[in-house]
Amino acid sequence: MSVVSSPMSVRVTSSRRRVVTRTAIFFAMVLMAIVMLYPFFVMLVTSFKTQNQYLTGHGTSTQSWRQLASTLPVYQQLLNSTIVCTASIAIILVVGVMAGFAFAKLQYRFGNLVFLGMVSAMMVPLQAIVIPEYVNVARFGLTNGYLGAVLVYAALGTPFSIFLFTTYFRRVPDELIEAGIVDGLGYWGVLWRLALPMALPAIATVTVLQFIQIWDDLLVGLLFLQNPAERPITVGLAALAAGRTTSIPQLMAGSLVSALPAMIVYLGFQRFLVRGLTLGIDR
Amino acid sequence: MAEIVFDRVVKVYPGGTKAVEELSLTVAEGEFMVLVGPSGCGKTTALRMIAGLEEITDGVMSIGGTIVNNVLPKDRDIAMVFQNYALYPQMTVAQNMGFALKVRKLPKDEIDRRVQEAAKILRLTEYLGRRPKALSGGQRQRVAMGRAIVREPQAFLMDEPLSNLDAQLRVEMRTEITRIQRLLGVATIYVTHDQTEAMTMGDRVAVMRAGALQQVATPQDLYDHPVNEFVAGFIGSPPMNLILASLQDQDGELVLRFGDQNVVVPASYRTSHRLAELIGARVVFGLRPEDLELASGEGGVLLEATVDLREALGSEKLAYLSFGADSGIVEQEIPRDDGVPVRRRSRVVARLGARADVHEGGRVTLRLNVDNFHFFDPETGASLRAVAS
Ligand SMILES: Nc1ncnc2c1ncn2[C@@H]1O[C@H](COP(=O)(O)OP(=O)(O)OP(=O)(O)O)[C@@H](O)[C@H]1O
Ligand SMILES: [Mg+2]
Repeated sequence: MSVVSSPMSVRVTSSRRRVVTRTAIFFAMVLMAIVMLYPFFVMLVTSFKTQNQYLTGHGTSTQSWRQLASTLPVYQQLLNSTIVCTASIAIILVVGVMAGFAFAKLQYRFGNLVFLGMVSAMMVPLQAIVIPEYVNVARFGLTNGYLGAVLVYAALGTPFSIFLFTTYFRRVPDELIEAGIVDGLGYWGVLWRLALPMALPAIATVTVLQFIQIWDDLLVGLLFLQNPAERPITVGLAALAAGRTTSIPQLMAGSLVSALPAMIVYLGFQRFLVRGLTLGIDR
Repeated sequence: MAEIVFDRVVKVYPGGTKAVEELSLTVAEGEFMVLVGPSGCGKTTALRMIAGLEEITDGVMSIGGTIVNNVLPKDRDIAMVFQNYALYPQMTVAQNMGFALKVRKLPKDEIDRRVQEAAKILRLTEYLGRRPKALSGGQRQRVAMGRAIVREPQAFLMDEPLSNLDAQLRVEMRTEITRIQRLLGVATIYVTHDQTEAMTMGDRVAVMRAGALQQVATPQDLYDHPVNEFVAGFIGSPPMNLILASLQDQDGELVLRFGDQNVVVPASYRTSHRLAELIGARVVFGLRPEDLELASGEGGVLLEATVDLREALGSEKLAYLSFGADSGIVEQEIPRDDGVPVRRRSRVVARLGARADVHEGGRVTLRLNVDNFHFFDPETGASLRAVAS
């Protein structure tokens, strides 16, 4: 009997242990979620107060929301952010897909060397090059208008994008491409009709990561978008915060509005994002 | 449908590997041609040159009378089945099969019609809506075939299409592919290193070695009259026994000597083979395993041997024989000009009946089938058979 019961008891303890572990993990995650969500909670609560109510801590009001648009051109600035984001990401994707496919699948001289050069550009932080970059862009007279900022963002995001697409396309078997060629495609056709549909997770990954990065960025917007009418939302908020009579509830309302699009994009693409980031781990 | 002609086609890879040497080969309209040979002999390279996936270094390749050396793959009207199938993962079976037609902008109902038809031939109708990853290996293989069939191309190219399947499925698909090829009558070039596939499927078989074509013939012809030691040792399973023997003329009788054995060669071989010039020297004596049988009683050409090893395969028994210490049958690697040596095995194999009474370590007497002797030049490996006139 004891011979039979001993494996049984092992199983019981191990399953009990699993329940304990799972519960512990669950509570740890709840705790983390609270830590993460608390700032949003504070923003939300604070935004429904007047400055006075905020200082005294009592009462609620929708005043800051009603006045938000008049103190801060939120809609224009959201639009500006969107334009800059979309244009930059479009460039980053187009360049990334094409360069990634070329690096991964077309054989040419010094290809690997060029690839290494590109990828090592990922290591260069913006802060290190921002001054010379500014001088360059200013000389071309691009500090007024979206183009300067778009180009800078594109330049910053492209190396990562190329890297991701290259590793992605390297996993596409050569035979698949050859099958496409025998089936009547040229290289453009292979890229457009075979490689691209397979690269959708990578496209989603690049889009989300770059969207969050560019949308939340302040430095480039501050430097390269000097025309107030073209300010992105982050710069607008910063200007509001730096003002002499800052209304904290209004700032919170503005922050919420500016955080929302990045969160929506992230939540919407989250599933693909995770798949894309663990690329190359399997197999 | 069209004839495919290699005219002294050469392929040298960048880096200097000469993968194919002056290959001249004609695949007739509707013919099933099998390219066979050991690994690295250039089969895949030859196939890829037809498809246009590999540039032709020298020589002329034509399909249906048109020289295609500089024609793009998409304009060659060739369909290819890849070893790992290379199905498009994001497309359904139907989309996979119809893709080439869609690229060529055929009307949608025509595409549908052809896909349906091919699916029926391949028994894939119920899977048309599935993605490749939801199919078994055999079904994927059939989809790959289907992708080729719907094209109605000038030729099918297949590179070891069955090597990823298990043994039973492979046998099944072997007959399946043959059936479909006969049905459609499209010229097919089929690459394999499996000589059973080569023998069972091909109208003709082209044996390659180290980039060079050795022999093109019907399977039976290849089996009965291999042009050299390499083909003899490659085709057949187990392959032909190749024994280095000395050839002597004893009182007007040709005698082969190896070890303590004397084998009398029937006089007819004096005319059918160029043996005269090698009398007093050595020849390679070739004998198929099935041309040895257990002797009951006297008469005929006999061999005495010790059974080293016995393999019972159910339907037959293989006996691995030795002829004493100084038999002259030793494992040999014979260097050849092209750098790839030919191997002669150390033991003679006999294919015996399932009930044959043989034991490991026992002595046996075997009768040789005197009608099917083969002789090769020990220097060049070439067959000594006088060309039939
Ligand atoms: N892309 C390439 N670059 C350089 N050499 C190559 C290339 N592809 C093949 N080779 C060489 O060419 C020779 C023939 O190769 P090939 O793939 O045609 O052989 P194979 O007969 O198909 O062999 P297997 O049965 O193993 O598939 C080999 O020596 C191989 O190393
Ligand atoms: Mg091959």
